[in-house]
Amino acid sequence: MKYYKFGNKNGRYIGSNNKYDVYENTIASRISENNVITEKKPYEIYFNYGPSAGGLRESVNFNIVTPGETIRDITVNSHYKRRKINIINNDINTALLKIERINGFHAASNAVCFLLAIEDALDIDNTGSNNKRIIEIELERIRSNIDVIGRLCESAGFSIPEKQLLYLREKVTRIISDAFNHRYFFSANYINNVHGDFNKIRLNNVYDEFNEIYNGLLESKIFMDRLQETGIVKDINSSGPAARASGYKYDARVDSESLAYDGYDAYTVESSDTFSRFMVRSNEILSSIDIINKLLNKIGNDKNDGKIKNNSGEGAARIESPQGDIFYYVNIEDNRIKDLSMVSPSYLNIELFKKAVKNNNILTDFFFVWESFGIWVSELEVDFI
Amino acid sequence: MILYYLPLILIFPAAIISYKFNKTGYILTAIASVLFFIFTFRIYDYITYFYLIAAIVWIITSLFSITYSKNYGRWLSPLFILTVAGMMVILYSTNFLVFISGWEIMSIPAYLTVAINKKNDVEAYVFMFFSEISTVLIITAGVLSFYYTGTLNFVKINNDIVLLIFAIGAMSKMGLTPFMISEWLPIAHGSAPANSSAVFSATMTLMGVYGITKLALLSPESLYVGILFILIGIISVLFGALYAYISENMKSLGGFSTIENNGTILSAIGLFVAVNNSILRTFILVTIVLYAMAHSIAKTGLFITIGHTGSEYFSEINNIKDNENSLGKFFILSSLSGLFPSLGGLATWMVIEAFFMTAFLHGALGVTAIIAGSLIAMGEGFATAAMLKIFYFTDRGNKKHIKYESHIILLNGIILVLLFIISPLIIGRYYISGIPSVLIFNGFMIESRFSNADFGLISPLYIFILILIFTVIAYMVFRKPRIRVSERWNGGIENNEYYNSFVYSNNIRLILKKILRTKYGNNEALQTVDLFWLVMIDLAGAYRKISKYIAYKFMNSSISMYMIYMILAFVLIIIITSVVY
Repeated sequence: MKYYKFGNKNGRYIGSNNKYDVYENTIASRISENNVITEKKPYEIYFNYGPSAGGLRESVNFNIVTPGETIRDITVNSHYKRRKINIINNDINTALLKIERINGFHAASNAVCFLLAIEDALDIDNTGSNNKRIIEIELERIRSNIDVIGRLCESAGFSIPEKQLLYLREKVTRIISDAFNHRYFFSANYINNVHGDFNKIRLNNVYDEFNEIYNGLLESKIFMDRLQETGIVKDINSSGPAARASGYKYDARVDSESLAYDGYDAYTVESSDTFSRFMVRSNEILSSIDIINKLLNKIGNDKNDGKIKNNSGEGAARIESPQGDIFYYVNIEDNRIKDLSMVSPSYLNIELFKKAVKNNNILTDFFFVWESFGIWVSELEVDFI
Repeated sequence: MILYYLPLILIFPAAIISYKFNKTGYILTAIASVLFFIFTFRIYDYITYFYLIAAIVWIITSLFSITYSKNYGRWLSPLFILTVAGMMVILYSTNFLVFISGWEIMSIPAYLTVAINKKNDVEAYVFMFFSEISTVLIITAGVLSFYYTGTLNFVKINNDIVLLIFAIGAMSKMGLTPFMISEWLPIAHGSAPANSSAVFSATMTLMGVYGITKLALLSPESLYVGILFILIGIISVLFGALYAYISENMKSLGGFSTIENNGTILSAIGLFVAVNNSILRTFILVTIVLYAMAHSIAKTGLFITIGHTGSEYFSEINNIKDNENSLGKFFILSSLSGLFPSLGGLATWMVIEAFFMTAFLHGALGVTAIIAGSLIAMGEGFATAAMLKIFYFTDRGNKKHIKYESHIILLNGIILVLLFIISPLIIGRYYISGIPSVLIFNGFMIESRFSNADFGLISPLYIFILILIFTVIAYMVFRKPRIRVSERWNGGIENNEYYNSFVYSNNIRLILKKILRTKYGNNEALQTVDLFWLVMIDLAGAYRKISKYIAYKFMNSSISMYMIYMILAFVLIIIITSVVY
């Protein structure tokens, strides 16, 4: 492992899975936590929402303790989405097919991070595909952030910008489909290679159209009122847009070497609320388009000629997915997966969501807070067997 | 003459008999109340309308008590009947002495009721303390009246100070701002059974209203006293309605609702005292009487409904839904919410009309009236929310009903609707008319006016008939609604929790948390604080501190200090006497 080692806490906290606590530079054994809700006090009620209810994209259950209106405590039960994936002892290409399908909407982030870990384990030089992968990840970020902002508009009852953003999301998806032959990057990624026609990526219209919607939303006092000072959370253990919305320059594009960004500086806001997370995501859509436009001019000379030196080894990688740090650890033996572990950004985002929603919010703020973290439960509840 | 006083002759023995035979005592009280109404009520003599109100409440509570008081021992019935007897004496009184005697006959059994059923010592003392403050002030008013008129009889007085002092005394009994705790504390702490709570809340406070109205009729118009009453009334309306809405104790909710209603009545009395237009004054007087009638009868119904649940807190309720009870409750709570088709709806309309009409008098009174009218309307809005809480959260579960009590609740509701329908018969003819061209015949419409122009119009009978016709049409078209009850879908999770009354009213606890000081308390429940109670405690603390200081500094068994004290007292008396004479 070039960038990681097993040991104690070192650097910022990235997240946990059922085996490990992962930090910026180390992988530590998991210290388990309880997801037990506080006893209700007199007159309070347990308000149950989900796992099968309107307004939720995935099966997830919330148990809320409330004296009415305010949320005193909450648990998030995501186990309804639990999947056991038969992946141990698979060869790398079969495993990749399964990894891509863990969360289709973020297939590129998962596949790229998984492949980076494999390449680390097998000591493969992957510099030739670095920029192509960045383009891919940033395209995915644009679509994902548009989706989150669209859902915030839906929560606020702003149907027109919501529909405009859905249209824009579809437009980006079609650009991806034209360039990579699949709307969700399926089968576009290989060891040290990305299959795609990068000449078909043209995002200038997306930039202008998003900018117009974004500025329109910033002019709406009603929209701003609903987002500002809602779901405030500032926590040192945070990642992705949620961390950057609290002033932390936490960004794997800056502090991880798995995927090398050239001179990227993270955009941060200080106020830690839903509005800040909206600001960070919006600005990152625009900066991602800039990154892609710059890299499109550079990739012509990139060569994908990395050779496989070993057929066994241990590797780890961390990249910045649209929701925050995503981490993969692999152990390969004779080109087969011996051990596999993944940490999703949704793990930390759920912890942050719980703190944010309890912080002086009422039940009607719930959706703004939930959507602003862009949590995907499907990534959380995965057991590799 | 003997017939006129027959109810009084009947009720005192009833109190004694009831110690042994409480059912007989209650029935005799109901009979005495009927006779009292027959012998004293005179149409268009608005002060006698108070007799009608009191009689209706006593009849309903006596009938309800027959089953209700079984669990409260032997002493409840004689004390209850003595309290009623005291009120009867007040209503018969033509001078201060009899009035004060009645006031004490009414109050002392009331303390005893609270003391016998006590859960803590505090309630009975608080109740007694504020009642005695009211007695002292009423005696003072009587002495002043004697000083100005040379008689203790209720006669015309040319000075508004008697009314002011009497009113402050009565306010203490009515639990108005700043004496709110005198009303709700014993009731809220469960030390008063529901039948006594009904009598305390509906008629004991009515005696205060009666006294103030009687003196207001005898006193000159006074802009300042009037505006003062309006201000105190409005504060009581807003805080009473607010605290009612957030109360988890049902009796406390009823107590605060009384404060709100009495606040409205005091505001209307204030308007009566301040206005100098005779037609408008008469309209306001009718308004006061009808509002007091609606409040007292509906409040009796409210306490009976609460007593019928067999619980004190919403969280303890375990009753089954019963159509008869629900219908009666619907009319009672409509009345308390100021909604049609009930007397409360009409009375609230009249109060707001009276205030808005007064705006045409311009000046300070006009401005005060329009603001007061708007705030009272707002208070009624809060009251509706509080009443909805009672309506929704007083029946669920599976406890057996006492059918007899449901009949009484329905009877109470029907009385409120009937009074609404026949109200044009008891309101002065000047305000009754019709518009035959649109088929509203003469005699069926109430007009609010104080000059030639109409201000507002209402026809209770037509409102009732329209509601009835539309209900019947809806029933004929849609028939009885087919209701299928099923377990609710809880997202696939088994544990079912129900929305409760506390959660229902928590929005206001949070919105007004600066006033209510909402926070998690010692028992870890989310709590609010009654500001007026806090102020009273602070005042009591300050009083004790000063007393202690005086006791140690000046009354410390030092003979020289006593000599100085006595000399100063003599000098002061000489000065006061020489100034007065």
